[in-house]
Amino acid sequence: MGTLRIAWRSIWRNGRRTAITVAAVGMSTLIMVVTFGLMDGMRIDMVHNVTHLVLGDVQVHATGYRADQSFYKAVPEPEAILDAARAAGVHAAPRAYGYGLVSVGHKSAGARFWGVEPAAERAAFDLAGKLAQGSFLSDSAEASRASRELVLGRKLARSLHAELGSEIIAVVQAADGSLGNELFTVVGILVSCGEDMDRSAAIIHARDFELLFVSGGRIHEIALNARGTVSPERVAARLEAAVTGKAELEEKKPEKEAGGVDIETWRELNPALSDMERLFGASMWLFSLIFFLAAGLGVMNTMLMATFERIREFGVLKALGSTPWRILRDVATESFVLGLFASLLGAVLGAACNLYLAHAGIDLSRYGDVFVEGVAFSPIWRAAASVEGIAAPSAVMVVVCVLAALYPAAKAARLDPVRAMTHV
Amino acid sequence: MSRSSPILVVLCLCLPSVAAEELTARQILDKVDDLYRGESSQGTMVMKVVTEHWTREMRLRFWSKGKDMTLIRILSPHKEKGTATLKNGNKIWNYLPKIKRTIKVPSSMMGGAWMGSHFTNDDLVKESRMADDYDFEITFRGERGGQDVVEITCTPRQDAAVVWGKVVVEVRRKDYLPLVQRYYDEDMKLARSMTFSGEKLFGERSLPSVMKLVPEDKPGESTEVRYEDVEFDVGLPDSKFSLRSLQE
Repeated sequence: MGTLRIAWRSIWRNGRRTAITVAAVGMSTLIMVVTFGLMDGMRIDMVHNVTHLVLGDVQVHATGYRADQSFYKAVPEPEAILDAARAAGVHAAPRAYGYGLVSVGHKSAGARFWGVEPAAERAAFDLAGKLAQGSFLSDSAEASRASRELVLGRKLARSLHAELGSEIIAVVQAADGSLGNELFTVVGILVSCGEDMDRSAAIIHARDFELLFVSGGRIHEIALNARGTVSPERVAARLEAAVTGKAELEEKKPEKEAGGVDIETWRELNPALSDMERLFGASMWLFSLIFFLAAGLGVMNTMLMATFERIREFGVLKALGSTPWRILRDVATESFVLGLFASLLGAVLGAACNLYLAHAGIDLSRYGDVFVEGVAFSPIWRAAASVEGIAAPSAVMVVVCVLAALYPAAKAARLDPVRAMTHV
Repeated sequence: MSRSSPILVVLCLCLPSVAAEELTARQILDKVDDLYRGESSQGTMVMKVVTEHWTREMRLRFWSKGKDMTLIRILSPHKEKGTATLKNGNKIWNYLPKIKRTIKVPSSMMGGAWMGSHFTNDDLVKESRMADDYDFEITFRGERGGQDVVEITCTPRQDAAVVWGKVVVEVRRKDYLPLVQRYYDEDMKLARSMTFSGEKLFGERSLPSVMKLVPEDKPGESTEVRYEDVEFDVGLPDSKFSLRSLQE
């Protein structure tokens, strides 16, 4: 108790020195917290830009579907998956895929048809809002069918010379071997959504898809997006549990086409993005470390100077009978209290800045669009306000403060009192 | 026989080949190519496609002129009645009666299946002469599978736009009617084979009436074409192979 009180008194004995030290430490902490928050925000945004578009946190396919994308490898019991997602409070969008030909006037091109539930896509993903022109499909199958709605990928629309209102002829190999064909009207053209989608996506209502492909309601993919409420791994685990629980019940009736499902997180679905995120995360820590060092050196300098200034004072203390250990302990306590106060101040201010930046963001749109994996990156740079992003810099600062004060204190503690008192 | 002179045996063996008119490899290939062609032809065929997931049968009416012009129209099933394909030169158009539209098959889709069969759009277009695109030689002559056959191996020329590594054509020596054509990929692995059978008299020509295409990579699948009737040299006008005619 005595030690703390002495530390407290020492702190207030020289107000100017304390103010300078607090300002230096607090400012460094603030800068570190904000820098970390901004970089972490960029990392999270990078992932969300891709996963929130269409990828999702987790996707479910029939076993082996992703390898050959066979039309006949449909998710065995899509309703069970959708129920499990609903129970977990995670948005889910069922999709069907098929290949075919789209043609406008004299131009034709191969396309990948997407049969989607517009309402589900809207709830779970950002795709419905990513239109360069026009609008997304109507939620209701009737409305969509009445105006024969179709949304095209950007490059596909360009290569077909298609515009809003263009009539599109779709010709596909239907599931029964017949030649499925239908007329559609372009109601929307997507923004850049990645090379594959840009070149090939022709998105239609699930009901239209079923009629065109005679698909019998086949679902090839269920994409789940928790939108950050639950971790992708948790979502996958819950689905896994739901599916295996069901599989055990139904083991008795062998089904020819049943097979299992593949439940994969976005890391497995898009390893390139996952690697990029990990690399970014690692380099962020490395960069932070260097920044911590630089800020730490600044603080160390301040603490060194502040403590060296007091060597004569320590000499007097020693002459009065203080043990070297006692001097060391007093200085350490004092700098700990000072560092704690200053870094807490910096952390609070930094957290406030981060919260503001997370909310308002920094508008980068005037510097042009940024693309990650061909997906348009949001031009608003937002910070992430995470606990570790605030706690780590603050803790580092306190440690640096104590260490920086210990060196001159130790030096003073070992000095001969007379020499310490006359130390210049 | 054991007592007969060896020379006599050799002479006897040689006899048939001396007696029959022996065609060169090139003549045989041209004969196979021209089998169903003539100056012009028209007829009806039934195409049966068997895949892992579905089986279907279509009746088709076809017209052709020279090697460049072909028109094929679906007669049944009802759902696809009137769907037609026009080939003129190396271009293909499809007419879709349900939506009353004609579309040109883009070059990127030429490798795609024609009407869900194992024939590709390219198969329709590449009706050029084997002898023009391939170097060829007779690689076997004699008895095989109970028949006297001639086997010709064709390897594509350097500049030929051909997807196959080689094509082996086996014909009956008696009348040079094709028995089987085997298509090998670039790695010289058998990719698909087409067998000819059911010899039938169409007008004055005796032709195999059934062609069965079996892809090697899809066991159990096949496309079988059965000619019901074929007429040759019917004098079709070029206008029969126009886009207008396609939509009739």
